[in-house]
Amino acid sequence: MMIFGLRARTCWALGSFAVSRRPLRSSPRTHAFAKELFLGRIEKKDVFPFPEVSQDELNEINHFVGPIEKFFTEEVDSRKIDQEGKIPTETLEKLKSLGLFGMQVPEEYGGLGLSNTMYARLGEIVSLDGSIAVTLAAHQAIGLKGIILAGSEEQKAKYLPKLASGEHIAAFCLTEPASGSDAASIRTRASLSEDKKHYILNGSKVWITNGGLASIFTVFAKTSVVDSDGSVKDKMTAFIVERDFGGVTNGKPEDKLGIRGSNTCEVHFENTKVPIENVLGEVGGGFKVAMNILNSGRFSMGSAVAGMLKKLIEMTAEYACTRKQFNRNLSEFGLIQEKFALMAQKAYVMESMAYLTAGMLDQPGFPDCSIEAAMVKGTNEILRMYIALTGLQHAGRILTARINELKRGNVTTVLETVGRRLRDSLGRTVDLGLTGNLGVVHPSVADSANKLEENVYYFGRTVETLLLRFGKTIVEEQMVLKRVANILINLYGMTAVLSRASRSMRAGLRNHDHEVLLANIFCTEAYCQNLFTLSQLDKYSPENLDEQIKKVSQQVLERRAYICAHPLDRTS
Amino acid sequence: MRQPRLREVKAVSSGHAAGGQLGQNSNPRLPVFSQRSQNPGSQPQSCCGCPTSRGMSWAQAIMLARGWRGICGAALTGAPFSQVPFQVPRGLHCSVATHSSDSSLVPRPPKPLWQPAKPLSPHEELFRLAPDGARDKASFVQAVQNFGQHNVRKRGHVDFIYLALRKMRDYGVEKDLTVYNLLLDVFPKEVFKPRNIFQKIFIHYPRQQECGLAVLEQMENHGVMPNKETEFLLIQIFGRKSYPMLKFVRMKLWFSRFKNINPFPMPRDLPKDPVDLATLGLRHIEPDLSARVTVYQMASSKDSTGTADSTEQHIVGIQSPDQQAALARHNPARPIFVEGPFSLWLRDRCVYYHILRADLEPPEEREVEEIPEEWNLYYPIQLDLKYGRSGWDDYEFDIDEVEEGPVFAICMAGAHDQATLAKWIKGLQETNPALAQIPVIFRLTASTGELLASSSGLEEPCPPPPQEEEEEEDNTQRQQQGQS
Repeated sequence: MMIFGLRARTCWALGSFAVSRRPLRSSPRTHAFAKELFLGRIEKKDVFPFPEVSQDELNEINHFVGPIEKFFTEEVDSRKIDQEGKIPTETLEKLKSLGLFGMQVPEEYGGLGLSNTMYARLGEIVSLDGSIAVTLAAHQAIGLKGIILAGSEEQKAKYLPKLASGEHIAAFCLTEPASGSDAASIRTRASLSEDKKHYILNGSKVWITNGGLASIFTVFAKTSVVDSDGSVKDKMTAFIVERDFGGVTNGKPEDKLGIRGSNTCEVHFENTKVPIENVLGEVGGGFKVAMNILNSGRFSMGSAVAGMLKKLIEMTAEYACTRKQFNRNLSEFGLIQEKFALMAQKAYVMESMAYLTAGMLDQPGFPDCSIEAAMVKGTNEILRMYIALTGLQHAGRILTARINELKRGNVTTVLETVGRRLRDSLGRTVDLGLTGNLGVVHPSVADSANKLEENVYYFGRTVETLLLRFGKTIVEEQMVLKRVANILINLYGMTAVLSRASRSMRAGLRNHDHEVLLANIFCTEAYCQNLFTLSQLDKYSPENLDEQIKKVSQQVLERRAYICAHPLDRTS
Repeated sequence: MRQPRLREVKAVSSGHAAGGQLGQNSNPRLPVFSQRSQNPGSQPQSCCGCPTSRGMSWAQAIMLARGWRGICGAALTGAPFSQVPFQVPRGLHCSVATHSSDSSLVPRPPKPLWQPAKPLSPHEELFRLAPDGARDKASFVQAVQNFGQHNVRKRGHVDFIYLALRKMRDYGVEKDLTVYNLLLDVFPKEVFKPRNIFQKIFIHYPRQQECGLAVLEQMENHGVMPNKETEFLLIQIFGRKSYPMLKFVRMKLWFSRFKNINPFPMPRDLPKDPVDLATLGLRHIEPDLSARVTVYQMASSKDSTGTADSTEQHIVGIQSPDQQAALARHNPARPIFVEGPFSLWLRDRCVYYHILRADLEPPEEREVEEIPEEWNLYYPIQLDLKYGRSGWDDYEFDIDEVEEGPVFAICMAGAHDQATLAKWIKGLQETNPALAQIPVIFRLTASTGELLASSSGLEEPCPPPPQEEEEEEDNTQRQQQGQS
């Protein structure tokens, strides 16, 4: 609220604030950190200090980590798995005996019942082999997640113990040849049998990880649902399908890159009889089930990637320090050094974001951390859309009153906005309270914290401008959305590393000066990136090339080809 | 004073050329000087532009005076001389042939007003020499070469070139650059080059220059780009400071600019086969690249006589997947129409097409496209906000759009009668089962004018459909028939 205090110069401006902001101020903490960033604010409580685990928990984690790490380094032969395109049975058995197939299954159903933080920690080790990581993730992050999230007590009692022990492997069947993220075009159908005790399932699903191994499938299919107004509609429903129900066949495994040992194939259902009690959630409520599963399974990816990166740094550093070229070690060349710094920085940022998110998720209550989780995984563009749109929806609702006033030409609001813009352009120092005497950030990273504050403040202004410009049609502006998401991911990364580095400094962890270096490097780079992206979002800036980009793609797509003349062409 | 003497000889030879054009050159071997004395009237035609010529006639004097005035005027007004090439020449050689008639591609040679009607063009026999039936490039080239062999002195070459230009179309060489270069090669070299400043100011040998311009003009009209050889020839014949050369430079400049200006390029040579031509035309009309061309019926080979009935004409249609979907959605209670023929020009060919269309749906019948609430699994497809885009970011132009009914398919057929088009509809029904339920009404324009006859050349314009209809309103332009 500090920003607004600064700005309230005249009494009428103050009055308008009181009206538009009061509901927010009085509301308790319902909004997560990322959503507040869209309003140009930092919700310090969520992210500072960096979440910690108690000593007991830490001991427990280490108790798990030791044997698993030993197993992965000594017994898992990644090269062999990749060459054969298959995980050996004894390896799978060992994984099962370690309990890795039920990491997040509650203890009463025979799982380990790990918290998100511990799950992330184990995920880091499991990811040492890509194929195993993918197999396990498909099994428990999405495959059986539906039963945990939406299953009834009977379903949980029936399926979870065997799934947790690894006796059964689960798979998640959503994607179809004609349907990626478009739920409306799902073709698989489930129709109620005449005795009303079964659903008859027909259709095929593609790119199903574990499709060949699994015996339990979470399948999404269209069912006819009678609406409240009496009309019949097709709606998505989730089912738990056992392979033993019959009519389940799978195609031959697809070849992939790097994760060859995992099994990905098509799965076909032909007149599969699914008992009515195997409906997951409500009939017609499959869409929400799918969304919840997808939203919940994301955050562990960050720690997995960080784990891989750390391993990679070890392996490449070994090489760089021993191989000689021109009588010098590779490690003495600047370009090689740059790569190692980059890897260390990425690993540090990924790790910080993953554990910050896991810590937020482990907080009591049901914190709304879907954006944060998506940001940790946020490497693909669909997730970027999700990140940007969810945040903009939140900001848009809160700013509704203000934007309506601006559109109506309310003199007070307009003058205030103009005044704020003027002050911004004259160069103001943004202070969101991260630094200073009682600041939450350690002074050694105070500069970076100031950069973060500045970015956050102007990001909030930009979001407001964007909403003013596009309103709800911003859904169509995907290039804008991608930029918004990029900035947000950077901001979250900056926050995570600042928070973690501050904690390390204050707690006096090993090599904390190294962490400070990494944090400052990342923050400076992200700050510059953010400034550039923010200027790209400005309508009249020379960096904003959206119009030209659209035109180029339009011309290319019109002819469906690369349309430039060949450089050797002549007119005469 | 060697220069004037040289030029005198030239004037004489060009005078002879003009005489030849008048058709009085009965004996090509007649001595030059006697020829000249026989035809004093031809002297103004020659327009040598040489002020020192001994045989300067009154016309030349006038021309000279005009030329001087033109130059002075140009100099006084400061207008660049090269920018107005035809203002002064028109006064000089009394010919407006090249720019008066835009209908004929080939300019006539300058026609003196005071001469009686002209008999057959000279050199006509050169083209008649060709063995009959073989009107191709080889025989044309032969004719041009024969001229060179028969006339060692290139007597009457201007007339010959004009004649050859007119003949080019008949021989089908009007788009052949080598032939144009061959024609330019007929001109004697180095003779018409201006040699001093005055010759450069006045148009040196205007009749020859005009002839050279005519060659280039015809090249331009047929879209033939001159090449280095053309340039070399022109420099050899007329020199760098001449109007043909100016024209050449301009052609070089603008041809390359305009060559690719058409966003919908047409092949240079259109296919001869009517089915291929129709396919090309349909692809040209249809913007959707995923549209599929279907040949519903091939023309039978024996319909070259006028007796062929429409059952043997080719029918080629095009339909895009979107159109197919729109047709499937069409309300069967509303009729759809076959309309046409409409003309489409592909270079110099005119083809006719028909469309299958419906009237615009009344607004109350239109289905509102609803956005399912459970649509995208990964991110919201719409935001729950009260406000939309601001006016400043609305990039749409404010256009009053006239909505039209949908077009479902387009076809080109060899005949424009209802029987042929009914076959097209039958063919369409295979891929569009919904069409069987929709009544089809034929609204054909009765006549397409003489263009149709000249284009298809196979039958009379749109004969009334044969006797297969029950009730037929005679002599009306709209023929309606319910088709199932």
